Amino acid sequence: MGASIALTTMTMTTDVRAAVVARGLSKIYGQGDAAVHALRGIDVSFATGAFTAIMGPSGSGKSTLMHCLAGLDTVSSGHVHIGDADITTLSDKQLTLLRRERIGFVFQAFNLLPTLTAEQNIRLPLEIAGRQADQVLMDRVVETVGLRDRLSHRPSQLSGGQQQRVAVARALISKPQVIFADEPTGNLDSRSGAEVLSFLRRSVRELGQTIVMVTHDPAAASYADRVVFLRDGLLVSEVTQPTPQSVHDMLLKLEA
Amino acid sequence: MLRTTLAGLVAHRLRLLLTSLAITLGVGFIAGTFVLTDTIEQGFRQLFTADAGKVAVAVTPKDEDIPEQVLAKLRTLPGVAGAQGLVRGTAPLLDKSGRAAGSTATSGISVVAGPLDRTNYVSGHAPAGPGEAVLDENTARTRQFEVGDTVTVLDLAEKRRQFSLVGIIDVGVDQNLAFTGAVGFDTATALEMTGEKGYHEVDLAAAAGVSPETLKKTVSEALGQTYTIRTGEELAEKLALDGNVQLDYLMLVLLLFGCVAMFVAALVIYNTFNILVAQRTREMALLRCIGATRGQVFRSILLESVVVGLISSALGLLAGLGLGALALNVMGRFDTPVPAGASLALTPRTIVSGLVVGLLVTVVAAVLPARGATRVAPIAALRSQVEEQTFRAGLARSLIAGLLLAGGLALTGVAIWGLGGDAGLLTAMGGGAVFFLGVIVVGPVLMRPLGAFAGWVPRKVFGVPGRLAVDNSRRNPKRAATTTVALTIGVTLMTLISVITASTRETVVSSLDEQFPVDFMITAQYGRQDATPLLPAEVPATLRALPEVGLVAELRQTDHGGAFVGSLPDGAAFRPEVLSGSIAALGPGTVALSENQAKDLGARVGDTVPLDTAEAGKVDLKVVALIADGSLNEAMPYTVTVADFEKYYGKIGPARVYVKAKDPAAVDASRRAVESALLAYPTAQLSSAAEVRGEFDDAFDMMFTIFAALLGLAILISLLGIANTLSLSVHERTRESALLRALGLTRPQLRGMLSIEALVLGLVGAMVGVVIGVAFGWAALQTIPNETVFVVPVGQVLLYLVLSALAGVLAAVLPARRAANASIVGSLASS
Repeated sequence: MGASIALTTMTMTTDVRAAVVARGLSKIYGQGDAAVHALRGIDVSFATGAFTAIMGPSGSGKSTLMHCLAGLDTVSSGHVHIGDADITTLSDKQLTLLRRERIGFVFQAFNLLPTLTAEQNIRLPLEIAGRQADQVLMDRVVETVGLRDRLSHRPSQLSGGQQQRVAVARALISKPQVIFADEPTGNLDSRSGAEVLSFLRRSVRELGQTIVMVTHDPAAASYADRVVFLRDGLLVSEVTQPTPQSVHDMLLKLEA
Repeated sequence: MLRTTLAGLVAHRLRLLLTSLAITLGVGFIAGTFVLTDTIEQGFRQLFTADAGKVAVAVTPKDEDIPEQVLAKLRTLPGVAGAQGLVRGTAPLLDKSGRAAGSTATSGISVVAGPLDRTNYVSGHAPAGPGEAVLDENTARTRQFEVGDTVTVLDLAEKRRQFSLVGIIDVGVDQNLAFTGAVGFDTATALEMTGEKGYHEVDLAAAAGVSPETLKKTVSEALGQTYTIRTGEELAEKLALDGNVQLDYLMLVLLLFGCVAMFVAALVIYNTFNILVAQRTREMALLRCIGATRGQVFRSILLESVVVGLISSALGLLAGLGLGALALNVMGRFDTPVPAGASLALTPRTIVSGLVVGLLVTVVAAVLPARGATRVAPIAALRSQVEEQTFRAGLARSLIAGLLLAGGLALTGVAIWGLGGDAGLLTAMGGGAVFFLGVIVVGPVLMRPLGAFAGWVPRKVFGVPGRLAVDNSRRNPKRAATTTVALTIGVTLMTLISVITASTRETVVSSLDEQFPVDFMITAQYGRQDATPLLPAEVPATLRALPEVGLVAELRQTDHGGAFVGSLPDGAAFRPEVLSGSIAALGPGTVALSENQAKDLGARVGDTVPLDTAEAGKVDLKVVALIADGSLNEAMPYTVTVADFEKYYGKIGPARVYVKAKDPAAVDASRRAVESALLAYPTAQLSSAAEVRGEFDDAFDMMFTIFAALLGLAILISLLGIANTLSLSVHERTRESALLRALGLTRPQLRGMLSIEALVLGLVGAMVGVVIGVAFGWAALQTIPNETVFVVPVGQVLLYLVLSALAGVLAAVLPARRAANASIVGSLASS
């Protein structure tokens, strides 16, 4: 017992320590009769170096949760910690700087600036922050996503899957504490989607990256280490080491 | 379809308003021009009509003044109840320091009493008797005289006469009196003071029951063809027409600027509609999907432009009323004779032309974008991402641009080397306009390299936002070109005017230096004689006697028998530029001809030319030198020695006396000495090079300010265009901005990015404008026959570049704020 506690304490302060923690998170849109409770008090944490999927039926609040966790949207009450920072207390400027330094994003669509080449898009967050890219990391990332021969192309010359891989590479390059991915495969065919997802998983395994992904696709969720389920703004369940089948079963159970 | 269009317009009220503003300003300017000129014209007409009511018949001379006996004869005619002769001559008023006021002598006029009195009194009353006088309002104010003061006026013999000032009058719209100022006496005193032998007009009042027409007939029969006889109404009509000639000129100039403003507005509208169509691609495609035909889509856009055109033109008319009132106010302040208290005139012509021009420009500018809208495929409704506009210079564009550019240059070349003069100037400006059209066509091709050039510094200095901004400014070259070309027009014209005024100013200054190789120049006041005013003959001798004075050189000149002859002043400083022959050879019986005179006569050095003189009859003179005509044409056609001049024309007074201080360090002391010596000659005008230069400078500054103010409107409209383009670009790039914000771009950085984009756009527009303006300013100067210095006012031109860049930033303030304040989540979700 003692050894186990000691181990837990130790891991809490090192690698198992949560990258993102939400406490009593709620989000209300509108006022009075028109008020919509998108999140109704959520407590959740996302471990460092883990790939977590957030799932739930439409309108369950999964996108809102991600926006609040990433500091893109304000919360109505509760707290969100990214590392040691409580982002709910930060000003817009501080929040912007925090996003710049510690968070990576992959959106469903429109991830890239059309005027920049793939390589410029990848380097963009670093340049905004005024940092130099780690060339070793750059090579490794580019190699892993298999974009070496596409670096000088503009987004309009890339396929949807290639565009998403550029977006993932961009999210990785600044070595953020956490990457938030919002339906990253929503616009892709299943083969391209699988490529992107395996690439996300490899970045967790090989680079120790923390990823939080919102999805409604059980197959996509099965690439994660852990899946948390939302319904009506509440965290209702979770599955570790998911398979497409186990996720699907859980969803059916929730919608029943 | 109609209902859909109107619903769309109502839903986008704000966008509609912004779009309208460009047209509103342009129409406002044109309508304002009409309002201004109509108001002045109506004001004049009212004044003249009121005057005409007092006069039944007016008699004016065709050449010589009307003598006293004719007036006496008129008084005896049947049906004449009263007749008054009006005197007008010169009567130099002295200012409080005892010098004649102004460079032109004050007009001396008679002020009549009784029913034929048309004088408007500001204060006081009519002069009664030889000891009283009245002054016009403007002169009284600038020379600081008040009713009750004593004023001194020179009589014909230049003797000082004192009068008690009993009234201040308003000379109304009489341009001549407004320019010279007027001092009024009773008729007898006026005749005595001015030395006039007759009247320049005789006004008649009709006896009861006699109509003006009847009286006119009686007078005509009595006087015959020697005089022009008009009824009061006809007189009013004639005076109004005289005023209109000047008004027409004013209207033409103003309308020219109005056209520039409208052209700029058309470009802005064209661009706006283009963007609106691009933005609503999905909306149009949806309409096509549910069965709207191409024609219906086309008509719906045109209908939108009609509504926009009508509303903005109507607003423009209102703005025109305001602008007209403002201009009247400003002109009143600058002592321009404007009828006071006239109510603003809004004539049907103003309304119709304002509405038609506004509507036409809007609809024509919207035709091309509307055609573009018909090309939207129904399937576009289903695409999620707006396609990036790509641009390639097509063959047709290259050809047209090449033709226009080459044609413009060719036309300008012909103007400079083939034509010259007024025709050359007009042709050069035409060439400039054609060339400019070429620049508009080729604009999109220029945008990328110019954007890169203008963006070079921002890209280096402002980091990522700077680089993104420069890329964005070059992203849609067609749109950027149309946006900036609107600004280019204004900057081109401003630069053109700067170059021309600076060059002319420099030309005048350098020729002044040639003309003024001395410290002071003394001339006589204009107005006493019809010809060149002459100084009293003893002035040079008086000045030579002063110990503080060094050189005193005199120029005598006369225009006897249509030939302008001058004497060669003493002193080496007055040796003109000799083209051939030698000025040293100028001795008795010889002459130096000016370049132009020699050309007219076909004479060369060594030839003999005849000259008709006053005292020596016809003489034959041997040509010894040809003198270059300076830039101001100051060389006399004939120049002879002083001795010969006196032999030919007698001992007449000098036209100019040049004075050099004995001690160059004590110019002030010698000036004081000259001033006190001239006290005996109050009409002699003493000026220095600095003063003359100052007068020219004031005139140039005034002209430049007026042009700049008139062009300001076109520039303002083009800034609206930049703001419009940016706000629509911001709208298009909502998601892009949100993405950048998510990736860590701060709000100030995003705002900065848009400001830099606008800065680059402004700079590109200004750069093109400056280059074209300088080039065609040079071309315009080449068409002027006189030798002209070409000067580029570098400081001013740089200022235009800086101001344009800043104006761009200013135009970006609102769009940038909106982009920066948008919610990231909301923007990411929007499509």
